[in-house]
Amino acid sequence: MYPVFLAQWMKDKRRPYLILLFIGLSILATIIFGDIDRIEQSTVSVYSTEPNAEEIEQKWIELLDNHDSIEYVLMDKEEAHAEVLEGESDVALQLMENDYRLITATEMPGVFIVEQHVQQVFTEEAKLVAAAGTNSTLDLRKEVAEYLESPPLKVQTESIDGGDIANYDMGMQLLFGFTLFVAMFTIGFKVNGITADKVSGIWNRLILSPVSKTNMYIGHLFYSFCVAFFQMMIVFLIFKYILGYELGNFAMIVTIAAAFTLSMISVAMLITGFVKTPEQFYMVYPSLIPIIPVISGVYMQPGTITNPVLQFIADIFPLSHGVEAMMDVALYNAGWNDILLPIALMLLIGVLAMGIGINMVERRK
Amino acid sequence: MLETIKLSKTFKEKKAVDEIDMYLDEGESVGLLGPNGAGKSTTISMISSLLKPTSGDVKLNGKSTIKNPSEIRKVLGVVPQEIALYEELSAYENLKFFGKIYKVKKELLEIRIQEVLEMVGLKDRQKELVKTFSGGMKRRVNIAAALLHKPKILILDEPTVGIDPQSRNHILETVKKLNEETGMTILYTSHYMEEVEQLCNRVYIMDHGRVVASGSKSELLSILSTEDTIQIQLSKKSYPLLESIKGMEAVRRVEETNEGIRVISKKGSNILSDLVHAAEKVDIQIIHFQMEDPSLEDVFLHLTGKTLRD
Ligand SMILES: Nc1ncnc2c1ncn2[C@@H]1O[C@H](COP(=O)(O)OP(=O)(O)OP(=O)(O)O)[C@@H](O)[C@H]1O
Ligand SMILES: [Mg+2]
Repeated sequence: MYPVFLAQWMKDKRRPYLILLFIGLSILATIIFGDIDRIEQSTVSVYSTEPNAEEIEQKWIELLDNHDSIEYVLMDKEEAHAEVLEGESDVALQLMENDYRLITATEMPGVFIVEQHVQQVFTEEAKLVAAAGTNSTLDLRKEVAEYLESPPLKVQTESIDGGDIANYDMGMQLLFGFTLFVAMFTIGFKVNGITADKVSGIWNRLILSPVSKTNMYIGHLFYSFCVAFFQMMIVFLIFKYILGYELGNFAMIVTIAAAFTLSMISVAMLITGFVKTPEQFYMVYPSLIPIIPVISGVYMQPGTITNPVLQFIADIFPLSHGVEAMMDVALYNAGWNDILLPIALMLLIGVLAMGIGINMVERRK
Repeated sequence: MLETIKLSKTFKEKKAVDEIDMYLDEGESVGLLGPNGAGKSTTISMISSLLKPTSGDVKLNGKSTIKNPSEIRKVLGVVPQEIALYEELSAYENLKFFGKIYKVKKELLEIRIQEVLEMVGLKDRQKELVKTFSGGMKRRVNIAAALLHKPKILILDEPTVGIDPQSRNHILETVKKLNEETGMTILYTSHYMEEVEQLCNRVYIMDHGRVVASGSKSELLSILSTEDTIQIQLSKKSYPLLESIKGMEAVRRVEETNEGIRVISKKGSNILSDLVHAAEKVDIQIIHFQMEDPSLEDVFLHLTGKTLRD
């Protein structure tokens, strides 16, 4: 097993570009597609034309200024309108005592987010005012805030399929999705080394040697595992320590990644069972693999795909289970018990696919 | 020490190897000749335990190797028809890999690698990647890889196809040396009669999955003792002449060659005067003619109706 492993390593050592490219690709894809709502900062020009403009502006700015990606900047009316017209800012906000107006020239999604936020702040304030009667809302707000710190009762909102609705982090999902997706290519190309050895005749040489067949397979598959796992770890470490993403309990992420790699190696082995030459594999595999994240819903909010057939197909592949488990760890602080099921499912897929795959490879002579 | 008994292999409908009986004595050098698709590689695969026969047996020292192939694998070195090497690795790295796979002892491996590199004449190129090698050099590494564990029996499947004469000579020399100096038993597969003539004590000729003839060179040549071969050089090509010669009673076969035609006739039939007459009739001169000793090539042609190389 060890020499087989080593020979694969020697081959790749001279040409590490593919792995480096894949690592770069995982990170780049996540940053480009996953960071859209992080990078896109909206600036809102805020002004008031009321007689007590200054007072109003101060009051609302203070209340509004709690959004991550919206920045409220004070200016006068003409300036604000000019900015909107020139496209410098998407939207201007005219403040009144208890009301507001949005001035915009576009239909950008950013405007919608601003509208939602402003409305939320005004409605909340209106409720507080109503509750406080004529009193100042300031004391009441403080009271409410204190109360919310230690509520006697907590209500957790869940969507129908059990996921948390609020604050779903698509960026994080894409991070895991892309990383595992790209790793699937690495896995496939490495597992394909077995077919390449068979076609070149090297496999026959090994069969005639004292090395057992099991060891030949393990040598190849263990190498594939190491390369793909290494690739994923590098990507995750870069995200965690260099780009500052909160990936949650890292030991759990590592465990899920390992289970995913094992499982996906088996799936690649199974696909190997259907092809005769490494060239065929290079044609089949890259056209098959990109479909998996699509039907697994990696590019979409959870719950978007409701077709039971697609869901079933997605469940056959380890990707959906891997991403789901990682999301649970990163977003919802899942414990070991929570990720046990997806890990078990991935390993089950692995055992089945490997069994069938090796059988098919061995049967065809 | 090694024999096959009614060895057969059928792929789906096709009989690739059909009841072959062969034997190899210790220290012998035996040739296996046959045109493309004759079943040579299939036979070798079965002998070397890579392929299960449909029927028949392979015996090493009297014991069947089919149920338990570990014994034959230990004494066998196989040089496959294809280049079974990692092109991305150097010659040295390839040999180191196969040496480890064959469990050559660590302290011995380095010495063995250098020995086999010396044998195939690539010692000074060992650090270079195999993919940068010429076809002939690749073939030499391919052979070297089968020698690392000092096999008692070496099977080579067309080790000289498509390579330069220099590499070819080197390979022939190496195989000859292995056989004569270390007493290695050789089974050498080839399309080339002259290689087999040069290397082997005995020859098996295969066609359509069957052994059509076997024996030493002189035994094979005696098959042709009933034929004369006449090489004729003509002033120009003539189809009618060819036809009229073919029609003669004593003539068995006529072939066109580069210089003219070759006529194979019944021994002692004295058709020379008939030939001259026929040529005169169509106004063609015979520039030169020669009675030829039959070669193994002719034996092959006689048996299979094919020349070896097409
Ligand atoms: N795996 C296979 N499946 C089906 N048919 C096969 C298989 N391997 C060989 N054959 C057929 O068996 C016949 C013998 O093939 P084989 O490779 O043994 O011939 P060969 O004498 O080695 O020819 P060559 O000189 O071209 O190497 C051929 O007709 C070939 O098409
Ligand atoms: Mg062959």
